[in-house]
Amino acid sequence: MFKKAQLERLFVSLVMLAFVSLAISIIGIKPDIFQKLQFLFLTVAIIFVTLIWAQSKTIQFNSNRLRKQIFGWLLSSIFSILIWSFAQKDIQSIFPSLKGYRKALNTLEPIAIYLAIVFILFALILSIVGARDSRLDRPGYIERTLVYNLSSKIAAIPMMLTSVGIFIIATLWTVYHSFTNSRMLPKSEFIGLAQYERLWSSDRWYMSIENLAIYGACSLVFSLFIGFLLAALLDQKTRFENTFRTIFLYPFALSFIVTGLVWQWILNPEYGVEKIVRSLGFESFVFNPLYNTDIVIYGILAAGLWQGTGFIMCLMLAGLRGIDQEIWKAAKIDGIPMWKTYIQVVIPMMRPIFITTLVIIAAGIIKVYDLVVAQTSGGPGISSEVPAKYVYDYMFSAQNLGQGFAASTMMLVSVLIVLIPFAYLQFGRRKYD
Amino acid sequence: MNSIEIKNLSLNFGDVKVLKDLNLSVEKGEFLVLLGASGCGKSTLLNCIAGLLDITDGQIFINNQNVTWYEPSERGIGMVFQSYALYPQMSVEGNLSFSLKNAKLSKEEINTRVKNASEILQIEDLLKRKPAALSGGQRQRVAIGRALVRDVEVFLFDEPLSNLDAKLRTELRVEIKRLHHKLKNTMIYVTHDQIEAMTLANRIAIMRDGLILQLDNPKTIYNFPVNKYVAEFIGSPSMNFIEGRLDGTNFEFDELSFNLEGYSFKEKIKANSQVWLGVRPENIVINEADKTMPVNCDVVVEVVEPMGADTLVWSSLNGKELRFTVEGNKIVNIGDKLNVGFDPAHVSIFDFETEDRL
Repeated sequence: MFKKAQLERLFVSLVMLAFVSLAISIIGIKPDIFQKLQFLFLTVAIIFVTLIWAQSKTIQFNSNRLRKQIFGWLLSSIFSILIWSFAQKDIQSIFPSLKGYRKALNTLEPIAIYLAIVFILFALILSIVGARDSRLDRPGYIERTLVYNLSSKIAAIPMMLTSVGIFIIATLWTVYHSFTNSRMLPKSEFIGLAQYERLWSSDRWYMSIENLAIYGACSLVFSLFIGFLLAALLDQKTRFENTFRTIFLYPFALSFIVTGLVWQWILNPEYGVEKIVRSLGFESFVFNPLYNTDIVIYGILAAGLWQGTGFIMCLMLAGLRGIDQEIWKAAKIDGIPMWKTYIQVVIPMMRPIFITTLVIIAAGIIKVYDLVVAQTSGGPGISSEVPAKYVYDYMFSAQNLGQGFAASTMMLVSVLIVLIPFAYLQFGRRKYD
Repeated sequence: MNSIEIKNLSLNFGDVKVLKDLNLSVEKGEFLVLLGASGCGKSTLLNCIAGLLDITDGQIFINNQNVTWYEPSERGIGMVFQSYALYPQMSVEGNLSFSLKNAKLSKEEINTRVKNASEILQIEDLLKRKPAALSGGQRQRVAIGRALVRDVEVFLFDEPLSNLDAKLRTELRVEIKRLHHKLKNTMIYVTHDQIEAMTLANRIAIMRDGLILQLDNPKTIYNFPVNKYVAEFIGSPSMNFIEGRLDGTNFEFDELSFNLEGYSFKEKIKANSQVWLGVRPENIVINEADKTMPVNCDVVVEVVEPMGADTLVWSSLNGKELRFTVEGNKIVNIGDKLNVGFDPAHVSIFDFETEDRL
């Protein structure tokens, strides 16, 4: 038959599978099947527990901590049972004050039942096989899984739930519904790739992509270049360095909405740069990028750069400060000019910082939305539309969820296309320090 | 002929005077070690010679050429740093040839120089590797090679062995000495390790607070330190100091009195002046020597530290701590009564106030 450790491992994985099926059934994907699956898993798990018991026979209570754990699990199960009992009509008729919470209790009832089962099961398992492995005199697999460093496991649960819930389930949910004809509310009526066909035949989407490409390329190149240049200048033992750093970083303290508004005023022909230059006497001076469909995206770019470059500079400055001063001395002795030292020695050494910066800039590019809304609302016409705005408008204004989901799925796909080879190159090979 | 000459060099960082009116000349082919505790200005002096720091006042000559305002690369120097300062993303070969390529030397010339340097330093097998794939000792060899390929007159070492473990340090120390013997270049070497200084140097300059206290060959510095600080700094275990009065050639402290006939005084001393008497632990001999040594007395052993080749014994003389070494195979136990003695010719006497040698 099986070895004890294998049985233990099978049991733990079955419990976990049961958890997963519970989660899936709660979300609403084929609830009838997954609910049954979950009970099936639990039943098989219980069979395995009996098998383990049959094999080990002896029950040893050597550790105080284990007893405390078992007691804790039992206590938790009693609480769960209490909550479950509060939801029962008979109990409620005895304690009328509970009736006020009937709704909350009814919601909690299935969870309470499930938790009670799980907790009792945990206590049972611990008492049967979680005792010390008599041969090796060390904790068994289950004890290690369930008991060791328990507080850290409990502390990790909210983050795990968030990341699984938001990043995986919500993403899958979005992709799933992008193939449906959901309008105001999501529904599961499949229409194949129709949403995507509509997306790719829309002028507005093409305009958004084009704008994002221009904005992205320019913002990447310029914020890296200007940021590094400013950092390199500040690194030359500049006087009042702190003051300059604060000034450069100051725009980063403003939100995109405020930045957008400020730049809208600056670029506005009626009271911005054009007005000032005209009042100086140049009557024919024209400078209104936000009203020119060809260059409106560059007006938005200017605001974005003004806001973000200071932060990039700070990252770069931190990177430059991390370079050993003796490298500079060595380069000086070797007679390498400063610009060459930067390009051939220092920048390659700053590779990790550049990667961090690149990720931050790229994330900023993809999610650019509020800047456009504050400055132009996508206008004139559709000439300053961006994908994030397309998604938002279709999901919440045009009440066409399917179309919005299709657009956001396209954004996700394009990010992944860039990110996966990059991540592979970055993390997939051996690194030198 | 002087290879390096420093005239009235001073350096201030704001109000802080780091180097004060410093004069130093180094002969061609000499190995000079700048030795001192941290913060004494020895690395700063080296950086000034290299041109990495702009000096406040004074002049620096290298090969009889005033290089005070020359760029570091134009001074004809090579420098080796404590943290190796190799260019991490270049191979060893790239590190060696980077400065030469930048100086636009011909390919053949670069190749022969790199080949020569790597042969001398025995790093031919490592040429294709990146610095990260080298051990500390190998990295420091490459760093020395980077100075070597530039074919310079003067080598500057800024604590090159401090990042290595004890065994490697000893090995590389010998190698640097061998290298100096072979190349016969002028070398200036900064360290805080007195063993390195004693073993490598032709001359040692002991520095404190931006001043050179004593500049002499290692033997003289060890045996005739000019003041109490130098005497205390050089030598491990460090010198014993006894405070007392000097009356003619008679040294008195508490009830004890030694006759110091045989000590060569630098100058005539005032009668009855307060002085420090310094004796090196290894100049104190025990038991059988008591008849032959002019000065002797009895002490009780308090702590014994066997160090293999010899044993360090801690005892006290009238309440003053007294350390001395005995041969390693001699058995000394705590509580033993020993008769110790020393020859006045081997002691150092310092003025109590100025701490200068008398």
